Amino acid sequence: MTFDQIIGHQQQKDIFRRAIGAGRLAHAYLFEGPEGIGKKLMATAVARALCCLEGTGCGSCAACRKIDHRNHPDLHMVEPEGAGIKIEQIRRLTRELAYRPVEGRKKICIIDRADSMNPAAGNALLKTLEEPPGDTILILLSSHPERLLQTIRSRCQRVPFHRLPREEVLTVLTERLGIEEPEARVLAALAEGSFARAAGSGREEFGSLRREVFAWFSAERLTDPGSRLRLAEELDRRKDDLPDIIDILQTLYRDALHLALGRGNQAVNVDATDFITRLAGGKTIHSLLGKIDSLEQVRRQLERNVNRQLAINVLLERLAA
Amino acid sequence: MSYLVLARKWRPQTFADLIGQEHVSQTLANAIRSGRVHHAFLFTGARGVGKTSAARIFAKALNCETGITAEPCNQCPSCLEIAEGNGTDVLEIDGASNTGVDDIRELRENIRYLPSKSRFKIFIIDEVHMLSVNAFNALLKTLEEPPAHAKFIFATTEPHKIPITILSRCQRFDFRKIGLVRVVERLRQIVDAEGIDISDAALTMVARRGEGSMRDSLSALDQVIAFCGDKVADDEVRGLLGFIDRRLLFETFDALIGRDCPGLVELVRKVDNLGYSCRQYCRDLAEFCRGLLLGLLLDAPDDALDVTAEELADLRELAGKTSLEDLQRMQGVLLKLEADVASASMQTLVLESGLLRLALLPPAEEVGSLLRRLTDLEKRLRSALLPAAGSGGAPPAGVAPPPASNQPSRREDPAAKKPEAPVAPSPGEGGWPGLVEHVKRRRPRLGAILEKASPLSLEPPKLEIGLPKNSFELTQLTDNDDRQAVNALATEFFGVETTLVVKGLEAEKAQAPPSLAEERSRKETDRKRRLREDAVNHPAVRSAREIFEAEVVEVRPIDKGFV
Repeated sequence: MTFDQIIGHQQQKDIFRRAIGAGRLAHAYLFEGPEGIGKKLMATAVARALCCLEGTGCGSCAACRKIDHRNHPDLHMVEPEGAGIKIEQIRRLTRELAYRPVEGRKKICIIDRADSMNPAAGNALLKTLEEPPGDTILILLSSHPERLLQTIRSRCQRVPFHRLPREEVLTVLTERLGIEEPEARVLAALAEGSFARAAGSGREEFGSLRREVFAWFSAERLTDPGSRLRLAEELDRRKDDLPDIIDILQTLYRDALHLALGRGNQAVNVDATDFITRLAGGKTIHSLLGKIDSLEQVRRQLERNVNRQLAINVLLERLAA
Repeated sequence: MSYLVLARKWRPQTFADLIGQEHVSQTLANAIRSGRVHHAFLFTGARGVGKTSAARIFAKALNCETGITAEPCNQCPSCLEIAEGNGTDVLEIDGASNTGVDDIRELRENIRYLPSKSRFKIFIIDEVHMLSVNAFNALLKTLEEPPAHAKFIFATTEPHKIPITILSRCQRFDFRKIGLVRVVERLRQIVDAEGIDISDAALTMVARRGEGSMRDSLSALDQVIAFCGDKVADDEVRGLLGFIDRRLLFETFDALIGRDCPGLVELVRKVDNLGYSCRQYCRDLAEFCRGLLLGLLLDAPDDALDVTAEELADLRELAGKTSLEDLQRMQGVLLKLEADVASASMQTLVLESGLLRLALLPPAEEVGSLLRRLTDLEKRLRSALLPAAGSGGAPPAGVAPPPASNQPSRREDPAAKKPEAPVAPSPGEGGWPGLVEHVKRRRPRLGAILEKASPLSLEPPKLEIGLPKNSFELTQLTDNDDRQAVNALATEFFGVETTLVVKGLEAEKAQAPPSLAEERSRKETDRKRRLREDAVNHPAVRSAREIFEAEVVEVRPIDKGFV
């Protein structure tokens, strides 16, 4: 992937083109921005531009192909092992970075999901991050930069990445992936500018989950206490899907809120207008806000291992109220 | 040599370069000059304020070949070695990577040997807070009495993680955050040397992003230069550092104050489309709110706020549309919203619903004015009730007229009466027993005393009661505090300024009316007698007595309320 092949992120591409051109590349970068919008792609593109035998990041020379296959000897990828990045990984990295580059001019280290470093690992990286040996570039990727140690953030040059506009995602979906227009429109809206979500491998399942949500949360089922209880049991069994279900519900209620505010034309779920109209029917803005809040609350609770069934029951009662 | 980022290239090499930490460099220089250099130092402070740099400069100062000096030459081999970080006698150890007790044991092995060419063997342990407890303890003896040729310098951002036993063996230096002006001065010095064209306003923005840390500021400057090249425009800096356009903030507050929900939704969409971070937006909103508050509160907020006169006028106009209470509440909610947004998975959604909620809140009211209104309401309610209950209730009959002579305790003139208050206590309120009940509810101890007292005269504004001479209660009520408390409560009860006069009664107290306690005990005995008569006269009891030739010894009530 060369810079040109990356969609959007013009500003970031300019930064690196200029820095590489002028030989003013910093030794540590922190790429920050939401999940799945192309941070790793950009990091790989930087690595290729630096290692390429042609000097352009052509994508066809041996070095570029090695980078793409992640087996270039001068490219070090650090990714979470299990729950997060551990101190052993950082120590191994520090040792490896002490050697000179094998093939290229620089050693490149990409730390994915850097915020998953535990404090010990983060601290062990500090000295290397401040003054890495020789010609080394460290690129940290994070979707939650505020979770990183302050001392780490302060040592990096920060490169913020922004969401892609909906239209741009739509173009890619229709032109490159050949998805039909109506479906692509929904996907682009749902993805909130994240490619991984719009066109990721879980796309099919996500679609079917959405259809299930429409069936589950129909007005008739929500108003009847008995079917609410049965629905809670059903949801309890689908615990792995719960975060996605909450996401879907939140977008639905947000659309309902926008409808109640008279701004229905900005809906995300463009294919479910009837459903949203029924959701918004007879509800005040306050009550819709309350429902969105309780969805957010349940999401947090589920992250903290509460009694799942109870949380779902409470949520359904609140949504039905 | 490859490109170095500004923070590394411009790392201070002398104490003079170490800006904002004069208190440290002065102390260290004096110690060197007077030859009283301690053997262990601890440098603490926020990130990027110069701890590691100070440690290196100090090491150079101690080992410089021109002699121990406060101004190392930076030219001798020793100084150069240290600057490059590969001195043989200056060991810079990464405390976060070498955390174990074995690493410290190795260090202790090492420390015994004399330095190879310099004066001192200096151990700089950076990020020392990550050492394990065992490692710290293994260091204790060495740290207390190291060989004469050894010096320790520890640097950390988290001094609270260091055991107290280590702290007590070190000379501690706290590095301060660097003031905005000093940072800007230094940045100006650097950009001039680097030949970069950038305005003071832009440098101020960069320095503000650094939040008092020199390295953060330089990293931000690097970022700006990387994007803009040698000529830097102010607008680009603002966009690059994620500073949100003031106009957008202004519009947001306009919508918040005007309760324009659709407008807010549109604004959130705009913020999202422009690629601003929701968190930064929240933080800037809170900051903007501070501006509004200060504009409302201060006459000349120019020092506290960084705005032009024009902007200030706009701020004031906007603030004028709302109230201080509303703004304060907004600021509180915005600060909380920032934390919520940070941890949310759909940030725009949380931001949007938070702002809408804020716009839909009813206007706030100051607690003080609410309280005032509440007390007014209470007062009006009472004055409306009391006259309706009737007045002119007579004090209990049989009260002896008080001797007019001995009343020195009467202080207040009745002229100080409140005009709207009723003149006499109403019988509906219960007279003396009512007063006692009232006192008992508020001050149980005083109520118990009043229960024992006989009401002699009950004519507000004067209240005369009698208590047995030499009784405990009498001595209690002669206490000034207690009497004043009773006065206050009586005033409250009667609605008239009332003064309590307490008199000691002779033991027989023939003419004094009975106190409440006495009355109650009399009633009690009455009741017991009647109970006994009832029981004895009961046909069943009578026939039982006849059959068994028995005698009734005692009659006990089963339930106290039942007669």
